[in-house]
Amino acid sequence: MEILSLFNVALLVATLRMTAPILLVALGGSFTTKAGIFNIGLEGQMLVGAFFAVLGSIWSGSALVGVACGVAAALVFALAFAVLVVSFRANEVVVGLALNILAGGMTISLMKAIFGTRGSIVGKGIVGLPKVQIPGARDILGSWAPLINGFTPMVYVAFIAVPLLVLFYKRTRLGLYIRVVGEKPEAAEALGISITRVRYIASLLCGLLAGLAGAHLSLGYITMFTENMSSGRGFMAVAILIFSNGNPLKVLAGCLLFGFADAFSLRLQTFGFPSYLILAVPYLVALTALFALSYRSRPKIIRETLESMRKLLSVDNKPAEFGK
Amino acid sequence: MNDKLRAFSGQLVAVLIALAMGAVIIMLIDESPIKVFMTLMRGAFGDQAKIAGTLLQTTPILICGIAACIGLRGGMFNVGIEGQLFLGGFAAAWVGFAMPLPPGLHVVVAMAVAVIAGAAWVSIPAFFRTRYGTNEVVSTILSNYVAVLLTSYLTIFLFKRPGGWSETPPILASAYLPELFAFSRLNWGLIIGLVLALFVAWFFRSTAKGYSISMVGSAPKFAEYGGIDVKRQGFLVLLASGAVGGLAGGIETLGVHHRFMEGFAPGFGFDGLIAALLANGSPIGTIVTALFFGALRNGSLLLETDTNASREIITVIQALIILSVSAQVLMKRRGDSTAGERRWKF
Amino acid sequence: MSTTSPAMTAPEAGPAETAVELIGITKRFGAFVANEDVNLIVKRGEIHAIIGENGAGKTTLMNILFGLLQPDQGTIRLNGQDMVVGDPATAISAGLGMVHQHFKLVPSLSVADNVFLGMEIRRNGLIDHTAQIEKTRELSERFGLKVDPEERVSLLSVGIEQRIEILKVLARGARTIILDEPTAVLTPQESRELFQTLRGFVAGGMTVIFISHHLEEVIEVSDTVTVLRHGKHVATGPTSELTKADMVRMMVGRDVSFDRRPREKSDGKVVLDVKNLWARDDRRLPALRDASFTVRSGEVVGIAGVAGNGQTELAEVLAGLRPASHGSAMLKGRDLTVLSTSEIREAGLAHVPGDRLVRGVDGNASISSNLLMGRQDKAPWSRKGILDWRAAATQTVEMIKRFDIRARGPEDTVKRLSGGNIQKVVLAREFTNEADFLLIDQPTRGVDIGAQESIHDEIMRQRAAGRAVLVISVQLDELLTLADRILVMFNGRIMGEVEGGSADSERIGMMMAGLEPKNVSDEVAS
Repeated sequence: MEILSLFNVALLVATLRMTAPILLVALGGSFTTKAGIFNIGLEGQMLVGAFFAVLGSIWSGSALVGVACGVAAALVFALAFAVLVVSFRANEVVVGLALNILAGGMTISLMKAIFGTRGSIVGKGIVGLPKVQIPGARDILGSWAPLINGFTPMVYVAFIAVPLLVLFYKRTRLGLYIRVVGEKPEAAEALGISITRVRYIASLLCGLLAGLAGAHLSLGYITMFTENMSSGRGFMAVAILIFSNGNPLKVLAGCLLFGFADAFSLRLQTFGFPSYLILAVPYLVALTALFALSYRSRPKIIRETLESMRKLLSVDNKPAEFGK
Repeated sequence: MNDKLRAFSGQLVAVLIALAMGAVIIMLIDESPIKVFMTLMRGAFGDQAKIAGTLLQTTPILICGIAACIGLRGGMFNVGIEGQLFLGGFAAAWVGFAMPLPPGLHVVVAMAVAVIAGAAWVSIPAFFRTRYGTNEVVSTILSNYVAVLLTSYLTIFLFKRPGGWSETPPILASAYLPELFAFSRLNWGLIIGLVLALFVAWFFRSTAKGYSISMVGSAPKFAEYGGIDVKRQGFLVLLASGAVGGLAGGIETLGVHHRFMEGFAPGFGFDGLIAALLANGSPIGTIVTALFFGALRNGSLLLETDTNASREIITVIQALIILSVSAQVLMKRRGDSTAGERRWKF
Repeated sequence: MSTTSPAMTAPEAGPAETAVELIGITKRFGAFVANEDVNLIVKRGEIHAIIGENGAGKTTLMNILFGLLQPDQGTIRLNGQDMVVGDPATAISAGLGMVHQHFKLVPSLSVADNVFLGMEIRRNGLIDHTAQIEKTRELSERFGLKVDPEERVSLLSVGIEQRIEILKVLARGARTIILDEPTAVLTPQESRELFQTLRGFVAGGMTVIFISHHLEEVIEVSDTVTVLRHGKHVATGPTSELTKADMVRMMVGRDVSFDRRPREKSDGKVVLDVKNLWARDDRRLPALRDASFTVRSGEVVGIAGVAGNGQTELAEVLAGLRPASHGSAMLKGRDLTVLSTSEIREAGLAHVPGDRLVRGVDGNASISSNLLMGRQDKAPWSRKGILDWRAAATQTVEMIKRFDIRARGPEDTVKRLSGGNIQKVVLAREFTNEADFLLIDQPTRGVDIGAQESIHDEIMRQRAAGRAVLVISVQLDELLTLADRILVMFNGRIMGEVEGGSADSERIGMMMAGLEPKNVSDEVAS
């Protein structure tokens, strides 16, 4: 009975809320994945996004400016990634990891230099993002209203981005070219589509969404920045991207799974399960999904049966008629 | 020989470029690069104790670096050394405090268990990598987070020292790794690391198995054609890499902290990976780069107190070094567009 | 060229009537001359076939015409006007269109999306799929190329993929269409439909240039034929005035030195016995179909065929690099299809791979290190698992001398060597390990003439030493020089066998083109 009481509207609301940041960053990664780049640097882009969003918010007193600063910082990282990987053809894993390490070290160094503190930035006039109240939601949906009402803007952005990305890949020229460059670069080349330019654009679009994800982390439900606060969400996003292949709807499904795992495990925590194990749940979910799905897509060896051979032979005998 | 010299000078230029960029960043946070540099030097080599401290920091970086070298030479990116280090560290501590054994034997058993723990931790990603092609970079990174949380859980919920703060009980003195000098915690771990580096270098250069593994790493299709079981070698490479990662953790526990505690060795795994990348996968080169990073790390302790810069500024410099090393490929590219790809594949 | 034929006069054509004129085209790749002073005049409204063996320079010539390569010498005239075709865009705007041998379609996109890729129809900034589908349907109906514009390309057969490639070219307004070996990937039915389409094109005033090996098809569909051999222009004439025998003679060339190696007759015992062997390619389609043959000791068996007809898969199955899907290959009584690569090598295989730079060597390693592969556990190269680099260097120096490898020394990096010398490194490694069966895939591809000679000498020496040798080559000359027997592969099957001594290149040429298949069902029954 007690377990059943876990499942209620609040859990669903928490799932949506937890899904948002990882969904944003994974959708960002969908651009690079579709363009054929393995982008392990999402984590770092998200982290600098979170940090500079806080900085911008403090300096300007405006959450919106904060978000813009976060996005700008993530874009700089995305640009550096693109320069090294696309133009210099450096190894994408090495560059991605190095940029992640750079992001970690840089944010802490800047925190110390600017605020003289270690660990986290709290208060100091950080302006968080407001909660969006949809007029009339409570009247129509009653107790279900929190499902669409009262989230911070990035949650809406994340979920609205899913159909937009579906449309983007299907109906826009750029979306099409990104897919072509990732799937069949020689086709792009033959048609005079610049692979370099498309990959740059994909990297920058990725930085844009990763920056928004970061801003959501530090200006969304909690208005603070802590060391390494992205805590592996970027890597989970990469895991999701590997098994979704960047398809926005599959990305959404994967992220909802993580959001639910996050929300559910937080619930469990209130029932006295050890927090350390519960915190590990999302990572374990990511690993399990990664392993299970690669097992499923393993190549299978075909043994020809007599029947299939007969079929192949009968198709094959047709050249005998040729030219008669 | 000429090639090696050119490779070395290339790395050197990359380091210098990164240091210059680092200097600019230090100026941006309103601090004098010269002061920071001098503080780093003083912190790293200022006196006997400081030098010993540098070597103490070098030890885990070196051993993690060797772990990374083994992986890189066999064509595997083990980014999970950090996690293997934590598991190895905890396993060694557990043998140290819970399993009384005669002196001498106790240390050996504790280290052996650390090695096994590291190898076991990487075995699942290794299995899926070699059997089903699951990307080992992502799986080992994610398993790092699990390893850190798991060891914290074990430490705090199951083996907490009564009255202590998120740490296990101290290990028995019989499990201590002997110290080298009276004035420092510098211990036999450094010697083990140096011997291991020489051994791994010799292994890759002079044994049939080492040759097979190098070929799997540098030309997998050629190795397959030549009758080498590429999947098996890949699995063993990751296992060996994880084992050495576990050893690094064991040495930290048995030689330095004499207990396992939450967050006991942060970042050594990544520092080791970077040191190995900078050394282009050479274990001997890793001795040099690990010493360099060890000095940076030890020197950085003084940065916190004596300057405005935080010690993480050295992480920034390390990252910049790797970025400029990866970028310099373009500068000396000889008409080969895949040079960048090949560079890290060895 | 000394070869002449009854129909040897180059057609005189006024400028207005010619769609394409290539005059005196020469193209070199390093020391290799791909095209030498080639002339090609294509009249408007004709189907013009270009024929020649592998490596005769057909594709190079077409790539020059389409702006993918720049000629070292020569003039290009399109529709009577001198042009510099610097890139494909220029060629396209001049009304040329090219359908490549390897299709460049995006599998996950629909037919219509592929046709309009790069020139999408848009409305309000968004791609108008409905309009693209409509236009594709329109084009498809107008030119008689039946496709479903909404279908995904990944679900379609190769024949339909080709139609899409042609539609792509048509959608860009091409009036002259170049097809590079269009029938190589088609079934006979599909080929016939294609020919109908092409005739429709020329009936509508368009021009078609058609590259092929298949003489039967050339005779069936083309109006004019140009023959190339070894990069040179041999002849141009109306198809109706040429017989198949004329064409084969011009393609193969009697004047080309046909230097069959002298040999003792040998009737050694069977070393390799392949029975009903099947295998699938990387796309998991059947690529090797029911191959059965034997190779005896002291015998060189050649496998001839146009590239991509299952030879690669055959070699890979025998070397343990690809699973067989059915059948057996017994090497001295052991079935290779169930053994691992290393077990196969133990059983007595030496393998010279076709993709030398990927499989045959580690280009970044030294010569000694490359020669070490497969011997890392054997004396004198190593003892008890420990390598003896000094002994390895001695052995390497010896092999460098014996195989005449032009290198600075045992420590020289392999990728610095020329193609011929890299191949000699591979031969040195493989021919010195006492294997009974030598599998040699493309012995002299990309190898200069001098090295070719010595590689052939070495193969004959191995034959004399009693080894069983299987040589796979797309160069027929080479097989005629070396082989005791030649098996011809087409579409994954062995079409037939020709005695090396009486080698009838005409008959081989026909089997390579998929004609005269032997009765397969008989063999299955036996």
